[in-house]
Amino acid sequence: MKVGLQNNLRLGIVFGIVMIFLMLIGFNLIAANLIGSFFNTGDADVLNMLLFIGLVGLWLGATAAKQDNLWLSAAINGAIAGAVCGLGLAGMVLLLGSLFEAGVTLSTYLAQLVPSTMKAILFGAAAWQAALVNWVIFALAGALGGILSYLLRLEGWRKRLSSIWVRQRASTSQQPIIQAIRSYPRSRMIIYGLGLVVLFILPLGLSQYRNYIIILTGIYVLLGLGLNIVVGLAGLLDLGYVAFFAIGAYTAALLTAPQPHHLQWSFWVALPIAVVLASLAGVALGVPVLRMRGDYLAIVTLGFGEIIRILLKSDLLTSFTRGPQGVNTIGGPDFHGLSSGVGFVYLIFLSILLIILVTTRLQNSRIGRAWVAMREDETVARAMGIDVVKHKLLAFAIGAAFAGLAGALFASQNRSIGPEDFALMVSINVVALIIVGGMGSIPGVIAGAFVLKGLPEILRQLQDYRILTFGALLVVMMLIRPEGLIPSRRRRLEIHEDEPELTEGTTAVEGGKA
Amino acid sequence: MKPILETRRLTKFFGGLTAVNQVDLIIPENSIASVIGPNGAGKTTFFNCITGFYQPDDGEMIFEDRSLVGLTPNAIATMGITRTYQNIRLFTNMTAMENILVGQHPRLKASWIEAILHNPREKREEETAVVEALRLLRFVSLGGLGDQLARNLPYGAQRRLEIARALASRPRLLLLDEPTAGMNARETSEMTIFIRRLRDELGITILLIEHDMRVVMGISEQVTVLDYGVKIAEGTPGQIQRDERVIEAYLGHGAASGLNISADTAAA
Repeated sequence: MKVGLQNNLRLGIVFGIVMIFLMLIGFNLIAANLIGSFFNTGDADVLNMLLFIGLVGLWLGATAAKQDNLWLSAAINGAIAGAVCGLGLAGMVLLLGSLFEAGVTLSTYLAQLVPSTMKAILFGAAAWQAALVNWVIFALAGALGGILSYLLRLEGWRKRLSSIWVRQRASTSQQPIIQAIRSYPRSRMIIYGLGLVVLFILPLGLSQYRNYIIILTGIYVLLGLGLNIVVGLAGLLDLGYVAFFAIGAYTAALLTAPQPHHLQWSFWVALPIAVVLASLAGVALGVPVLRMRGDYLAIVTLGFGEIIRILLKSDLLTSFTRGPQGVNTIGGPDFHGLSSGVGFVYLIFLSILLIILVTTRLQNSRIGRAWVAMREDETVARAMGIDVVKHKLLAFAIGAAFAGLAGALFASQNRSIGPEDFALMVSINVVALIIVGGMGSIPGVIAGAFVLKGLPEILRQLQDYRILTFGALLVVMMLIRPEGLIPSRRRRLEIHEDEPELTEGTTAVEGGKA
Repeated sequence: MKPILETRRLTKFFGGLTAVNQVDLIIPENSIASVIGPNGAGKTTFFNCITGFYQPDDGEMIFEDRSLVGLTPNAIATMGITRTYQNIRLFTNMTAMENILVGQHPRLKASWIEAILHNPREKREEETAVVEALRLLRFVSLGGLGDQLARNLPYGAQRRLEIARALASRPRLLLLDEPTAGMNARETSEMTIFIRRLRDELGITILLIEHDMRVVMGISEQVTVLDYGVKIAEGTPGQIQRDERVIEAYLGHGAASGLNISADTAAA
């Protein structure tokens, strides 16, 4: 009980701080606008603001009452968390409101708090009234959220639903056709094949802009999968990963563009060269940092990433890479009749599938196990006969090769590249998407790339707040789901070791092996 | 009997301190030998020299007619010497099964290209590796726990898993650093029986560091005593129990005269 209370206070405080933060940057108003356009209730009126607060309150209450088995305690827990959060928010509203009423120009200090926004925050009423409304709504919504979460978890209807599901599954699996498919050894292949067909029809039906988003996300998926080997499996925190992306991109660019080298080679020749050069660069970076671990490695690789970018920009290489101007009219593959957007989507899909295959196979092999062992305890790994030097360099080389592939695709898709395309932020984005998705997990990397790269593109309305959302998302993720969106089994076990999944997994595997 | 490991005048300095001082040691093949000595006597340093984590400053180490001096730890492990640690060092976030599979690393041959191609040879190798790992799990009575994370296993099981991991590479010499540390009397006697089984059933030579005199005297055929890095005695357990210098090293100067307590406790 005491733990529950503490937990609720903590949750309430976290939500309260986030809400205050969002209010200070005027996010409430944007959210209200979004809600308004969603429900067609018009712009930012009081109702939409209240709706936004109410929804957050519901979420808070539902989270707080996650483990309650009585509707009353669920309601109380939700209400407590809501009240704590609301209290903080109300305090801030009261403070800002009184300042505003006293005639202070708040927008001098916080650019977003212009008078119209302030009026919306205060619901067009007096400061103390608005504060009270905030507090009451949060407490009520929290209680309601608690009850809702309790109802949703009710044994009865869940059981009924799952029994329907089981019955349906049983009845379908008894049908001769389903059984025939199950017993047919290639049925898995066929299912995968169907998935592939969907993947290949999909881009034809999408607009060019949507396809562009898919390509962009896909490039980050490739980068994420590559860095996942270095960071997620081998445990080498590489913050200069963008360097290999740059090397791949510039190799492809310089070999296929008319300027500055008049080469104009075919893309299909340039692609493997880009991959090989990037992986050689991976080894070249790997050798000097072999003895480094953790933070030291991160700093050195970060420096390496910057060195490559600055070299590309420098006068030293201007005749070779055209310096800050970058390379233009980069050649791309000929898709024989397909529009280049769709063709590139296919190319990206193919690359991702190939890399997923390579990654899974490495992961489940002697090499992958050696990487994980190295990450766990390098000294012991050596005592077990693992050649740490070789395996570290291999991880760097393979990770860099994937980045090189991504770079070549990026260059030929974009048609022009410059040094600033390879800023530190790219490395950080890739690390972030791995963390958000779930370290060491392939589906996690894909989900992470969609969340961090795909969503902001779709949510253009939030453009100004992209970086902010990004940061807030990372913080929230680390608080509520530290193992990532779709964690690998190992990581889930690491973080939630005492949850029942463990025993279920054990029995399942034991049964399978017996 | 033919020696499996021989050190000659093995010496290791740490600054001004001579951690291991001109130690000569011969371990006969298929024996159980112990290195004992008070805390700080240089036992673990001696182990670290043999396994390649420290390079000795002087002397020679010969394992099966090949010198170990200058080799990396992984090369030495591949040659057939593996070890366990005083404070258990498992790959805690890997399952018991995976720990043993990692232990098999030097025996498996698949290159990264084969791993990516997943060719029949690699497939077969992986399958046999899993079968072997299951067999080892049963051998250390951890059958059925293969899917548990190593860190969730009870203490005694972790000790046994660490030994199983060391066995997975099919070593010919196994170094055990205080295998019964932190165990109660029953667990200790089980471990003693288990260590003897390793030698009898698998034909592995065993060199152990141990504090528990009952264990040392019970299973060793040869006991070597180190004190301040110097070998002060060597012989059968019976000889060591009567050695005055050993009693002095353990109980302090003068203790040997008249007091026979240490020998009695050791014999008990």
